[in-house]
Parts: sequence; structure tokens; C-alpha cells
Amino acid sequence: MNKFINLLKKEVKELVTFQLVISLLFTMVLFYFIGNIVQSEVKKIEEKQEIYVLNLDDSQESETLLNGLSYAGFKVNLLDKEDKDQAVEHAKNSEINLLLVIPEGFGQAASEFKFKEIEAYYFIRSFSMASSASAAVVDHVISEINKLISNNFLKANFPDLNPEDIKNPIKSKGFVVVNDVVAEGVAAEISNIVYSQSIFIPVILMMIIVFSSQMVLSAMAMEKQDKTLETLLTVPINRKQIAITKMVASALVGLLSAVIYMVGFRYYMSGFMGDVTASSQLNDLMQRLGLQYTSADYVILGISIFFAILCALGLTIILGVMVEDLKSAQTMVLPLTFLVMIPYFISMFSDINSLSLPVKALIMLIPFSHPFIASQNILLGNYDVVFYGIAYMLVVFIILIFICGRIFSTDRVLTMKLRFGKKGLLNR
Amino acid sequence: MDNVILKVSDLRKNYGKFEALKGVSFEVKKGEIFALIGPNGAGKTTTLRIIATLLTPTDGKVEFMGYDLKKNPDKIRQGITYLPEEAGAYKNLTGLDYLKFMASFYAEKPQDVEMYIERAKDIVGFKDRLKDKVGTYSKGMTRKLLLARALMTKPSLAILDEPTSGLDVINSLEIREVIRGFVKEGVSVLLSSHNMLEIELLSDRVAIIDKGRILEMGEPKALKEKYSAENLEEVFRRLVQ
Repeated sequence: MNKFINLLKKEVKELVTFQLVISLLFTMVLFYFIGNIVQSEVKKIEEKQEIYVLNLDDSQESETLLNGLSYAGFKVNLLDKEDKDQAVEHAKNSEINLLLVIPEGFGQAASEFKFKEIEAYYFIRSFSMASSASAAVVDHVISEINKLISNNFLKANFPDLNPEDIKNPIKSKGFVVVNDVVAEGVAAEISNIVYSQSIFIPVILMMIIVFSSQMVLSAMAMEKQDKTLETLLTVPINRKQIAITKMVASALVGLLSAVIYMVGFRYYMSGFMGDVTASSQLNDLMQRLGLQYTSADYVILGISIFFAILCALGLTIILGVMVEDLKSAQTMVLPLTFLVMIPYFISMFSDINSLSLPVKALIMLIPFSHPFIASQNILLGNYDVVFYGIAYMLVVFIILIFICGRIFSTDRVLTMKLRFGKKGLLNR
Repeated sequence: MDNVILKVSDLRKNYGKFEALKGVSFEVKKGEIFALIGPNGAGKTTTLRIIATLLTPTDGKVEFMGYDLKKNPDKIRQGITYLPEEAGAYKNLTGLDYLKFMASFYAEKPQDVEMYIERAKDIVGFKDRLKDKVGTYSKGMTRKLLLARALMTKPSLAILDEPTSGLDVINSLEIREVIRGFVKEGVSVLLSSHNMLEIELLSDRVAIIDKGRILEMGEPKALKEKYSAENLEEVFRRLVQ
């Protein structure tokens, strides 16, 4: 046991280098910095934005429009200019981003259902989130005003009817069904919230797997390059322990790095997610549908992720045996990265369960697919799929450990090389 | 016969179709320095790596203190230490941590580690730098650290592959002195080198190896007399011509 602990301590010391600490701190600071910038942009959107209006009309309708803009969160400033050209020229030369020109006779025309266009001038001075968002809100306000005017017209002409019934005679009511639970709601909204809440999982999982694998491969390459592995293999210690300590140390450092990345990434994403937070009504709906992770769910997901990491590290050790130096280690991490990328992209843009059977079987064979599958299936209550995935990864891990042990107990650990030459791939 | 701690019989090693060793046989006695000499690619390192349990022989037998290499590699690892050619140490560990780490595998009780470390400190000769990271050491310092690691436990057999490779004259002399000192205390040494002059100065017996075969074996003085040569280089030249 002491020998194992000593080996483990050595492996951890070898992995936690000054460069690693600096790169982790740098990433944290970077995420924090970007997150703060994004958050301040979101705040700008939420803050009262200024809008400049040249009102050439003096009617009830134009007043309603201006009140609507104020109600939508804009600080409405009226421009005192003679005509449109003067107003545009003024806006160009000052810091005005949005100018609305309400034409003369707008109210009269609107009440008679004749076209009189409101001209909106968007002065693009940056491509920030705030500038594009304000333009969208103005469109929304105008559409609301349109609705108001048409409703008023309908009420006046058809006092016995509801204007909404005239415009939309066919009504629909949405229900979302998850397993046996039925609740009133909009499926798209539910999907958006689930997506925004679980988007972290594939990103972080990919980071951990690629990061830990890279560490193992680099450590193995260094051991071979400096011939420290040769020395280690001649000391009286079980060779399987050498392989296992490498995996455990990498998993520990990988998890620690992942936690640091997660904290940083949370800062980063909170900037984007601030405006997508579910309302209390939507939260209630999610709760009723059982679409929220419980503590037990997090434990199950954690186990699934942990086994995926172990499988990745087992595979990496086998690949690491074939590396000769740091350069070949960088090449060797590529096949593993591809294996992680496949389920990563599929889970980001599609549903693994909806794929055709052969493709689905192929994806399921990749052990790293299972945490991606688990993250959605846990929410949907399909625990069988999740547990099968964990069992499959456990079997794969045992097989990989067995292969690692076999390789380390023979001279293959020193003689196996992967060369892309005329003689083929694997040379001994 | 009781004096023999290592017996190598008809050792063969193939890498695919290439025959690296074609039936190598020799013995190492207790407290002797036995050297394998020959040019690059002669099979010296392959022989040492097999005895150090790193490579599996294709055929032949290796017995160390009565243990068969194929059946009891773990027993053999307890009695040997191996210094690979141009090896390094873990750069992120300090010299002291590296020695402690390696000592922990051989120590039966905590006091043994302290004893090994004290011995290693005497070998390296740069006690004040042992708390520095190995990555900051010169080539000579690293080699001395590795030699200290190989000898500090006083193994029954120290296998040293080109122990003075790439070192200057002073460092080489110091390392030779250290090896001699430990042999006097009962450690057997099996070493390899292509520096025949060094071997002549250091070894009790030598085996001249070329193309996977031992061409000649004996005490340096006897070999020189047999071939009427002034040094081992000349003996080697006559053997391969």
C-alpha cells in the first residue's frame, strides 16, 4: 500500500507542474473576464435604453406609440427638428443609435387603415448584443401598436365580438407530456430550458476527457523519453500498480482541473444564461413534469461521467505505451478526441435515441457516449438506459485494465510502437 | 560455483526477423565487475535489458541467485538495480524526493530509507543541491544521482549500461571510484560500454560481444596476453578481423 501511495504521490507531483497551475489560473481569469463582459452587455440590454423620436404627427395614435415605447423600457427623447433629413443628420453626428420618424398624418392614416410608414434608423456603431437587441424590441413594440390599432378598429365596428376571435378564429392549447405526467405548457420553451441547463455537461465532460488523456500521454511520453519508465519497471513493484497509479493520478488531477474549469465556465455561461433563466411559472411546470435533477440524479450522472473518464484513461494508457516522445503523444491524443467529439456533437445538435439502429449501436459502443446519453435520460426518467451505460463502461474499463496489465507485465510496454510507415501500423 | 550470482545460458532475442542475440552465455561472480564490451548494436543493451527483466528473451535461460528470470521476475527485481544508458530522472521532483521515492521500493522499514539516502548523499557529492529540482541539474549531476540511486540499496547485482556515457574525464573518474568502492563491499556489477579503455581499468572480467555473439571472455590482462595486444581495443580489432 505504501508503495502504491508513493507511486501515486510521484505521479501527481509530475502532473501538477507550474505550467499546469498557470494555465488553469489563466483559464479561470479568462472565463471570469469574458463572463463579466457578457454580463455587462446583458445589463445594458436590461437597462433603460434611449430612443430618439421625431414626431411629425400630433395624434392620439402617435401618442399611444410613444407611450408603448416607454412601457417597453425605452427612454423616449423627442427631437425638435423640422424634417427627417435634419433629424438623421443630427443623429449621425451624435451618439444616437436608434431614431424613429413618425410621419405627418400617421394617426389619421392608421385610423383609416391606410399605409403611412414609420421610419426606423438603426445607427450601427458596434455589433454588440445590446445594439441588436434594441432593434428587435422596437419591431416588437411596433407590432404591439399594430395589434392595438386593429383591435380598436374591430371593437368599434364589431362591438359584440372579441377582436382576437375575429383575427384568430381557431385556438390551440399546448400540453407537454413527459412519461405519465401531462401539464399545460409549450414544448419548445421546456426544451430550451432543459437545453440551457444541460449544455454544460457535454462541454465539461469533453474538457475533462481530453485534458486528462493529454496529461497521461504527455506523462508517458516523458517517461519514455527520459527512460524513467525503464528504471521504474525494474523496481520491485507490481507493474499493474504502475499503470493504475498513472490512471488514478490523472483522474484526480483531471477532476481537479475540471472543477476549476467548471467554476470558470459557470462565470462565462452565467453571462449568457442570465436572460434565459426560467420564470417561476416555467419552473413549476418543469417540477411537475419531473424535468429537474435531484441530488440522486446528480450522483448517478457523476458516476456515469467518472466511468467515462476511467475508460478514457485506460485507453490512453494503452495508446501511451505506443508513444515515443512528446511529439508523438500529441498525435496520439487525436483518435481519442475524435471518439469524444462524435457523441459530443450528436448530443449538442441531435438526439442519440432518434438515430437509426446501426448508427445508434455504433455510438453506444463508444463508452464516452453514455454520460451524454445519461444527462438527458435521467431527466426523462429512463434510468435503465443510464444504468446499462454505467454497466457497459464498467465492463469496458475492466477489459482495458486487463489489457493494460498484460501490456505492462510484458516487454510490449517498451517495444510497442505505432508507426505510420510502409511496414504497417503496429510494430513490435 | 556457489560464488556465481548470475548465470546466462544460450540467450537469444529476436526482433521480428532480426536476431539481436544469437546464444549469449556468461556468468557473473559475487563481488566482481563483469563488463560487456563491443560496438554500438552489438547486443550489449539487449542483454542487460533482459537481465533487468525489461525484455523477454526469445530463448535461453537467465538465473539470478537461483531464481529463473522467466518464472520469478519479481524475485530478481528485488536483488538488482538497473541504470539505463542516457537515462534521466523525474524533472519535477527534487533530487532528494527522487532518491526517497526510489528507496521506498527497496526499504523494509522506514529507517532503511534514511540509511539509503545517507549513502546516496555520499555518492552524489552535491548534498547542497539535493533539494533543487532534477530539471536544474547538469548532465554529470543527473548521472551521479542515477548512479547513487542504483547503488544506495547495495543490490546484489547492479546493472550499469554505459555508466559514464557523455561525461567528462573528472566525472567519469569519480563514477569509476564509486563503483569500485561498492564492489569492495560485496556488490556485483554487470556493466556495458563501448569505451574499452575504461573497461580495462575498471573490470575484473570482460566479454567481447559483436553482432549478438560473445567472441571472447576473460580477464583483461589474460586477453591482452593471449592476443599479444597492448589494450582491449586491439584485442577486439583482431577478433573481428
